[in-house]
Amino acid sequence: MSESEAKTARAEWGTRFGFLMAMVGAMVGVGNIWRFPYVAGQNGGGAFIIAFLVLLFVLAVPGLMAEVALGRYTGKGVIGAFRDVTGRGGLVGLGVVVLLVNIALMSYYAPLIGWTLYYAIHSLLGTFTGAGFGAEAFLDGFLANPVLTMTMHTIVMAGIAGVLLLGIRQGVERVVVVAVPALVVSLAVIAIRGLTLDGASEGLAFTFGIQWEFLFMSSTWIEALGQALFSTGLGWGIALTVGSYLREYDDVPLGGGVFTAIGEASIGILAAFAIFPIVFAFGLDPAAGAGLTFVSLVQIFPELVGGVFWGMLFFLGFFLAAFTSGLVITEVGVTTVSEETRLSRTQTVLAVCGLIWVLGIPSALSADFLDFADFVFGSWGLPLATLAIIGVIGWKLGPERLRVLSVNDNAGIYIGRWWNPVVKFVIPAVMLFIMGFFAVEEFGTPEMIWGMVVLVTFPVAGYGVMHYLEGRDRPPETADVAGGDD
Amino acid sequence: MVDPVPLQLTGEVWATIAVVVVAFWGVAIWALIRTLRQEDRKVELLEGQDRIDSYSPRALADLREFVENNPEDPYVADARRRYNECVETLKGTDRQFYDWSEEEIDRLERL
Repeated sequence: MSESEAKTARAEWGTRFGFLMAMVGAMVGVGNIWRFPYVAGQNGGGAFIIAFLVLLFVLAVPGLMAEVALGRYTGKGVIGAFRDVTGRGGLVGLGVVVLLVNIALMSYYAPLIGWTLYYAIHSLLGTFTGAGFGAEAFLDGFLANPVLTMTMHTIVMAGIAGVLLLGIRQGVERVVVVAVPALVVSLAVIAIRGLTLDGASEGLAFTFGIQWEFLFMSSTWIEALGQALFSTGLGWGIALTVGSYLREYDDVPLGGGVFTAIGEASIGILAAFAIFPIVFAFGLDPAAGAGLTFVSLVQIFPELVGGVFWGMLFFLGFFLAAFTSGLVITEVGVTTVSEETRLSRTQTVLAVCGLIWVLGIPSALSADFLDFADFVFGSWGLPLATLAIIGVIGWKLGPERLRVLSVNDNAGIYIGRWWNPVVKFVIPAVMLFIMGFFAVEEFGTPEMIWGMVVLVTFPVAGYGVMHYLEGRDRPPETADVAGGDD
Repeated sequence: MVDPVPLQLTGEVWATIAVVVVAFWGVAIWALIRTLRQEDRKVELLEGQDRIDSYSPRALADLREFVENNPEDPYVADARRRYNECVETLKGTDRQFYDWSEEEIDRLERL
């Protein structure tokens, strides 16, 4: 990194709390609320939670530390950070891979945020407690109405663009420091209500009862692995981007690693306390996934005393969880593109949000397409991005360099040499295993074929584009590199 | 589907809940409080003396070892700069962020 680059003006988080909330807000999404409690219950309850906890500490916490540390050390978005590590050339294209995966992820996540917005609006209108309300028909009616789904998708992307236009400190930080605590409070209030219902204990027994035999099943560990890695957002470029806005004296291991991974998982646990007592008290199917949230739970609000209030609390919290994730995921693209082009932040926000809006149209119009994209990118795209980031740290930069230069710099806790082999060998091996596992499981299916297309085309495109672009003179960086404010 | 047999809140379930609460919420709250307090302490030191020691004794020893063992490393200049800055801060300020003893600080030398 040249001295002039190092001195480039860049936004910073106003407070450490803002950084922490951005990290947790980015990682806590809709999956934490409906997926974690159910997956735990189906895979041995307490046995699953033990496996999950082990994997969080062994993989997610060290991995997140690496990603945040790289972001803080370089002070750049994903492509700029890769350039600092690999030097100019085609390998910078690995940063493009992370960017492409991130935008692809957001293209189907934005319409899903639109679903939560639609339900949040109707919870405020009291629709769910109205006479003759049918939950299944309501969801089907929404999904079959392209005007509605596109409108919600559009409002969501406009909202995200609006916040991002305000910048890191004035926009993102202001939203997350309110939204994340509000989400926690809403789940806590619902948990208190749920635990007072008759039959609530069955929900707790389902999620937390230990079935020891599951601890020795590979399926338990694979499910726990997916939950530990994907729910923490490791390797998506989020932690790197959020870390790039850290102040020089901020700490990486405690906030960027331990608090982020465990805090995010704690919200999943809170969701178990909030939702599953209600699910069991009303005899709902805990394995219903999205249907649990958008159909089953909706049906029980009219049966609760103060149902409008509980419905409102739940869906507003649910929307906040989804929206904050979308906000920070989109910031990855905005930061990176603004650094790599001559565009101002305003132009970049509009361009990136516009691109995501366009790419999100198929998912907004078809829930089946959304599911398909989620599976393809979740199974191959995200492990590929993680492999790119952690691989570059482990095999190009070298974990020992990052550990002594950044991880332990101003650190709240000391990180020893044990961290190096985890970053260099364990996490990349796990990512290769995940991709191989899904390839075998889905062998010959359209999902697997498209997964292979992603695995091949993204790196080739990234390498090709950056090999060409890096051979040309780069434009001088402007003062407003990223962040937009401050 | 739900197990048709009613699930019971046994002692084992209560124990799991207790462990989960400590392992997740306990650790998360501990990390949150500790890191926010450390930030307050850092801000206080920065306001009082304009700079703080950036490495703990163990971390600085690792940094020194890296510099000494890798003289040709492309990152060694940055590592040396960070090491020297920390040493200068430790020798030039009265209050430290990490637990440095006077003897430890006296033994430090620039690289």
